[in-house]
Amino acid sequence: MIVALLILHGLLAVALLGAITHQAISVWVPMRGAAGSFVGRMRAVPAKSYVNAIIVLYALTALLGGIIYPTYRLSVRIVLEQMQLYVPNGAFELKEHFVALGLGVLPAYWYFWREPQAAEHARTRAVLTALLAFIVWWGFLVGHVLNNIRGFDL
Amino acid sequence: MITARSQPTFVVTFAVTYAIFYVVSVEYNLALFTYHPALEEFDFLVEKAKDGPAMYWYGWMATSAIAAFVLAALASWLPDCWAKRVWPGWSWVAPLSVMFVFVYILRRFFLR
Repeated sequence: MIVALLILHGLLAVALLGAITHQAISVWVPMRGAAGSFVGRMRAVPAKSYVNAIIVLYALTALLGGIIYPTYRLSVRIVLEQMQLYVPNGAFELKEHFVALGLGVLPAYWYFWREPQAAEHARTRAVLTALLAFIVWWGFLVGHVLNNIRGFDL
Repeated sequence: MITARSQPTFVVTFAVTYAIFYVVSVEYNLALFTYHPALEEFDFLVEKAKDGPAMYWYGWMATSAIAAFVLAALASWLPDCWAKRVWPGWSWVAPLSVMFVFVYILRRFFLR
């Protein structure tokens, strides 16, 4: 059951990573002209259309992470401590806190991406998106490394 | 009640106070409840580890969310002239600053 939840957590994280990355790119390096290339089309995506999906995916991914966290606490973290793997352990501690802080940002993120504010608060919107993108990338990479830590020869 | 007019004040105050309450909850262990994963038991407020480790993360988030919600709801009743002075940028400055605080708090993991 935990393995299934872990895989689902990972799949949701992949979807979230794709959505927030597209949105962040389209906000920070928007496409001015016609989007012909692969990168150009990525820059030209309609950023606002990702908002609800990102909020739902973030909440669901965090919820699933919270459900499988006790197993990590009992089975993985203790081993990391015994093996004196301080950096991966600390990286996960940061992930835990960053994700929690990201949850607190979601109402503001939702508000500043609403239609009426489309023209104003552009900087707030962009930085909130970048902040969430950083949290999602950090969480994804740390989770990936810890999940495969035996293969990293640490 | 949170009206459309007071929403910006609410969301900015929530983002700021949640971040501050969260780091304070972690530093002073002000968890609303404790989870004992080995026993699959919850305890109200902070309890010491019983059989296996105790988890406070859920409790820290609950403490922060409730406190931030109450303060943000109160702030949303501010008069218009005050509410307009609330800088939207605080909604990212506060969480970002708290993230740096956590990097500092947890530096021992990376400096061994």
